[in-house]
Amino acid sequence: MAGEPVQGGPVPDGPRGLPAGHHRTHPLTPLLTGWKIVVGVMAVLTAQNAAQLAKEFTTGRLLFAIGALIVVMVVAVVLSALAWHKTSYAVDPSGVTLHSGILTKSRQFAPRSRIESVSIERPLLARLLGLAKVRVEIAGGGDDIDIQLVRSEVAEQLRHDILAVADETPSSTDLPTAGDGTGPELGTGPTVPAGQLRDMLHDGVTDGELIAEIPTERLIRALLRDVEFGMGVVMSAVGVTVAVIIAVVQDGFNFAVLIPLVPTLIALPKYILGRIEAGWGFVSRNTARGLRMRRGLANTRTDNIAAGRIQNIDLRRPLLWRSHGWTAAQVHVAGIDDSSPNGAQSVLPVGTREELALTFGHLFPPLGTSDDLATIEHLLTARAREIDGVRVTRRWHWIRRRTTVTVVLPGAVVRRNGVFTSRLQVVPRGRIQQLELADGPMKRRLGLLDLSVKVAGKTIALDALPQPDARELHTLLARDARTLRRYSERESWPRPRLAPGSAEAGQTPTQGAFGGGDRDGADEDLLGESVSGGNQ
Amino acid sequence: MGTMPATPGSRLNVDGLRPISELQIKAHYRASIVGYVIWLLVLAAAVWLALWQGWWWPWLVTVLPVVVVVQSLLLTPRRIRAIGYLDGEEDLTIARGIMFRSIETIPYGRIQSVTIGEGPIERGLGLANLSITTGADGAGTSLPGLPRAEAERLRALLTERSLALMAAL
Repeated sequence: MAGEPVQGGPVPDGPRGLPAGHHRTHPLTPLLTGWKIVVGVMAVLTAQNAAQLAKEFTTGRLLFAIGALIVVMVVAVVLSALAWHKTSYAVDPSGVTLHSGILTKSRQFAPRSRIESVSIERPLLARLLGLAKVRVEIAGGGDDIDIQLVRSEVAEQLRHDILAVADETPSSTDLPTAGDGTGPELGTGPTVPAGQLRDMLHDGVTDGELIAEIPTERLIRALLRDVEFGMGVVMSAVGVTVAVIIAVVQDGFNFAVLIPLVPTLIALPKYILGRIEAGWGFVSRNTARGLRMRRGLANTRTDNIAAGRIQNIDLRRPLLWRSHGWTAAQVHVAGIDDSSPNGAQSVLPVGTREELALTFGHLFPPLGTSDDLATIEHLLTARAREIDGVRVTRRWHWIRRRTTVTVVLPGAVVRRNGVFTSRLQVVPRGRIQQLELADGPMKRRLGLLDLSVKVAGKTIALDALPQPDARELHTLLARDARTLRRYSERESWPRPRLAPGSAEAGQTPTQGAFGGGDRDGADEDLLGESVSGGNQ
Repeated sequence: MGTMPATPGSRLNVDGLRPISELQIKAHYRASIVGYVIWLLVLAAAVWLALWQGWWWPWLVTVLPVVVVVQSLLLTPRRIRAIGYLDGEEDLTIARGIMFRSIETIPYGRIQSVTIGEGPIERGLGLANLSITTGADGAGTSLPGLPRAEAERLRALLTERSLALMAAL
């Protein structure tokens, strides 16, 4: 069932009881999902009554508890099995369909023009069994379609098929011409035996130009040098210790004392692990379908981000990363809601200057300066007071006037802020959907205005700008919002400089920004942008 | 504060704003009747407690309903008159607020959907409201208190312009 051709047509024999072309997920799915219900029930029950349970412990009760547990487990697995039986998916030229539900049936459908990206996640348990979850991200919010769990090879094939379907131009009225449905095979090419270990370690992300690869050593050192992360961890550890000491001093040692701390005790390692997962074994490569990334230690995932769909990019450089020039980059894509550090939108957990240059060049339209990378570097490292831009001058804002500055570049609006960690929020001027200018009694007295810049799915607040500057910026950006990225002028939309097919692009006066190399990926022509279903 | 002229016209960064219908004031009052009644019941309960039980603290509770109802009764006309809009060449601007002023700029090309809504009260007064969504997050922007014909005109204009000037996300 793996290599179901996407050209459609009547499929000879799907599994019994399923519509043509539909497939079930892997039969082990119910065991792996039912297991979570059991743990959830147990956690709730024990967390609430643990102290009491420990006090009134008897063998009879234990046996009763075990019996109850088994019943719950059986019920959970049976329910999951039923759900599994009713769950089926299909990929055809019009999009992806997922049928599910026992009593309330749902039929989710992702039309091909709205498919943003496909992620493959491998949670630890599933990974041990060689299974994976395929997530189809849909533009315009809404529910993502999760196909879980399927065999890893099937997942790769699905990813490939779905992306191929999504790449078909939405303008064509009927079925795409048969035969070229799949495009060049890049993600899962035939593996040379020597590269098999690497292939396994990188979850198949081994083809295409290497953009970034994070060695474990850099990840760990970066985490240790991340002041915010360190402070968070230290503060919570200190908090827990103090709480325990106070409780013990007051009441003497008692098991019950620890119970309220359990959430913190779980959350803290989870937070640390999450940050490690986010960058562990991170590899990103340039493929015909955008940036392909792989990350994770216990739970691994691979994601795709299409170059033309980035709404904004946030760069972050903690104080102690400056000497190494490391930067973290997080993008925003309409439709992908997961903004956690190990989600698809974190396109560079901690990268060197060169990696940032490549990532930026592949994903982001040019900023329009003579040397974009130098501009970014300057904005990240220079003291905010020395950056030429719009800022508050009132003494009232004694921190903000030293740390926050808004800069308008030919291609983007950039806000720099942060005291110890410098942050850049970069919004391409063509992506602005809507603008809001607002004030309040206090702001008015100080002569300030708040400007909110809204891109698809996200609002960037450029607050507390001096009135004349805010008005000027509003007028300027409002003009950008109405005139840029018109469909009628789609040929001249700015494109990421290094992205495939961008050689002829660019009305923005930038050639040779980013000294970082002249790799124009000539062999790749399928640019996500050219088929982007923008105004769905 | 509150020294702004209570009519639109010129606000923050736009000139030539058009006011919405004065009837919206009436509509707003009518729509708030249920709320007023609830607040008055709260007030009555507090007064009753204070008088019959001889407690002093229910008097504190009476402050809240009085403030809410009185400011709503007094300020609604000003607030409604402060709402203005301008259907410009290429974008729609909506302004509102007296103390916390804001103007929202929506380029026609980015509009994803336009909805006309009419509640029973609005329908009685011949009014309609328009809500507009773009790709930006949140529930979209709404413009209340338009005469029905004007709402229709705007809807037609917005839909037509958004197609003509369509821009991507």
